[in-house]
Amino acid sequence: MSELIMQALYSGVLQGGSYALIALGLALVFGTMKVINLAHGELVLLAAYMAYTVESRFGLSPMFAIPVALVLVCICAVLVYFLISLIRKDRELNSLILTYGVGIILTNAVLLIWSADVRSTSSAWMQDALVFGPFYSMRSEVLFFVVSMALMGGLWWWLSKSWYGRAVRAVSSNRDAAKLMGINPRTTEIVSFVVAGILAAFAGVAIFSYGVIQPAFGHALTVKAFIITVLAGIGSIPGVMVGALLLGIAEALTVTLASSALQELVGMGLFLLVLFVMPNGLFGAAGRRG
Amino acid sequence: MNRISSKIGLVAAALSLHVGGAFADEILVGAEIPLTGSLARVGAGMHEGISVAVDVFNKTNGKHTIKIVTADDESAPAKAIAAVEKLAGDGVVAITGGYGSNNIGPASDAANKLGLPYITSGGVAENLTERGYKTFFRINNTAGYQKAMVGLLDTMQIKSASVVYSTKEATADLAKDVEKELAAKGVAVTLHAFDPAITDFKPIINKVRLQDKPEVIVMVGYENDYVGILRAAKVLKPKVKAMVGVWSLATPKMASDFPDLMPSVYGTALLPFPAEFQTEEGKRFADTYMKLYNKAPDYLGQFGFVQSMILFEAIARAADAGTLKSGGIAQELARTDRQTLIGRVQFSDKGDNLNFVHRMGQHQDGKIAIVWPSDAATGKMNFPGVPW
Repeated sequence: MSELIMQALYSGVLQGGSYALIALGLALVFGTMKVINLAHGELVLLAAYMAYTVESRFGLSPMFAIPVALVLVCICAVLVYFLISLIRKDRELNSLILTYGVGIILTNAVLLIWSADVRSTSSAWMQDALVFGPFYSMRSEVLFFVVSMALMGGLWWWLSKSWYGRAVRAVSSNRDAAKLMGINPRTTEIVSFVVAGILAAFAGVAIFSYGVIQPAFGHALTVKAFIITVLAGIGSIPGVMVGALLLGIAEALTVTLASSALQELVGMGLFLLVLFVMPNGLFGAAGRRG
Repeated sequence: MNRISSKIGLVAAALSLHVGGAFADEILVGAEIPLTGSLARVGAGMHEGISVAVDVFNKTNGKHTIKIVTADDESAPAKAIAAVEKLAGDGVVAITGGYGSNNIGPASDAANKLGLPYITSGGVAENLTERGYKTFFRINNTAGYQKAMVGLLDTMQIKSASVVYSTKEATADLAKDVEKELAAKGVAVTLHAFDPAITDFKPIINKVRLQDKPEVIVMVGYENDYVGILRAAKVLKPKVKAMVGVWSLATPKMASDFPDLMPSVYGTALLPFPAEFQTEEGKRFADTYMKLYNKAPDYLGQFGFVQSMILFEAIARAADAGTLKSGGIAQELARTDRQTLIGRVQFSDKGDNLNFVHRMGQHQDGKIAIVWPSDAATGKMNFPGVPW
């Protein structure tokens, strides 16, 4: 039994790292603009399909797709921003409808270009088992867990130490006051969308490297990212990490101790419980520690 | 000169009458099918088979011409109802298509209310035929898949199995039926349900590896599930003798897309790969499929073709009898009794195919060999054998 639980914890941690990578971009944009980008999952998926194209067309490792995915996804992210910036009234609400529509367009574009087939990496190196004592995983899972942690650390440093990062936080706290301090909110918002695009690009390549992708998969990614963002509390990077790990571990333990059929239920139950007990999320404004 | 002109005129008039007659006899048939959403891949595969059936029927029938009107149900039950209603508004006389029992249920409900015959191969949930509609027909069913899977496991003479299955309606039905039949034969079976949204199967396979310790893992899911389960199994390497799946697994596509995961894996398969068609109809199907899509046909195309050909033939018979719009199509469908690419098709009074039994194939060296039943086998079973 202990071996089962240890493996479940390990799988949960790795899965949590993957969730964190998907959720970071959404959390950043939510924190900056109070906008839930419902097309975020589709941006992640776009990067995953770039990895598929690079691997299937050129026979290269999915890792080589990262530069191409970065450019394409960042361009798409900025386009989404420009569409959102056209909203004149009730931006928070109307952006939901707008980005949901963008998500549908992107899903169907992916379907038209890459067809509805199930895709995944054929790289043997990525899929090979990596065994540490009683812990089993694929190499790609560990690799992208490390990448996820590094990106999270980098983002935390960028937000707390760099000028632009602090500008993002300032706009997030008080847009008008930031303006008075000489910060251009529009530029700052574009920067946060670009950074979200960068994170989505890495997340997409990661998903292709250890999972399975299909055109309709983007929506599920957005939902997962949204749950973690709410669990974390608006704009909290450590919160995203804790929320994602919590969700990953809760799901893995549910599978091990009960049934996988209950996995999604437990995730949603956790989400509702946190909303009920801590409406601002685990690390939200009221009790932010990060 | 005048006589020649008048003869040419008569020939032209006769030709124009013939063309006019052909147009008058063009019959609209609806294809309600998921071309977007989570079932887009299987829906597109079935639609290819429907298009091949139209081409073959129109070239061979000579008297009636079928025209397909397609409506995408977006893999959603509510949209499936809307698609059927739209097709009825377009004037179709019957519907072929549908994928996923949860979509087919409400779609065929709507078709029944509108008096439209509905034929499918995309949903095997038992309750679809339990409704007893006189307008609903399907050419495959859970029992046929169950017979094939249990038959193969019988041949293996296993004593224990773990069944890992998706909680979707059709997969859950099949898994539970397989479990019941195996348990009745004295095989120790453990069931592991998984949510369709799951991506990491390691915790489940680890339970199978450390607690169940079965001889065989039976997978009842869809392509993405199989890839996830086989990946997890390849990492954890449970000591099993075989990995047995069901639909969408023993296919040329899986063999080419996931060559590292497929060796020795079993799944239901109508044909070996490379496909070998013996009958005239089979050869015509394969040639037309190749001409239209420039690829070898798969099981989805085959099922789509068979269901549609049966429907088109019933429509032609009803049109000849003058009962096209007075319930004649459903009556003709109910009378169907013919050999097809999936075997003999006859419908029960509930619309289920009485003779449907699938075959089991195994991935062997990038090809698919039929290994069960023995009278249809094209290769020897590689047992014990797993991809790792």
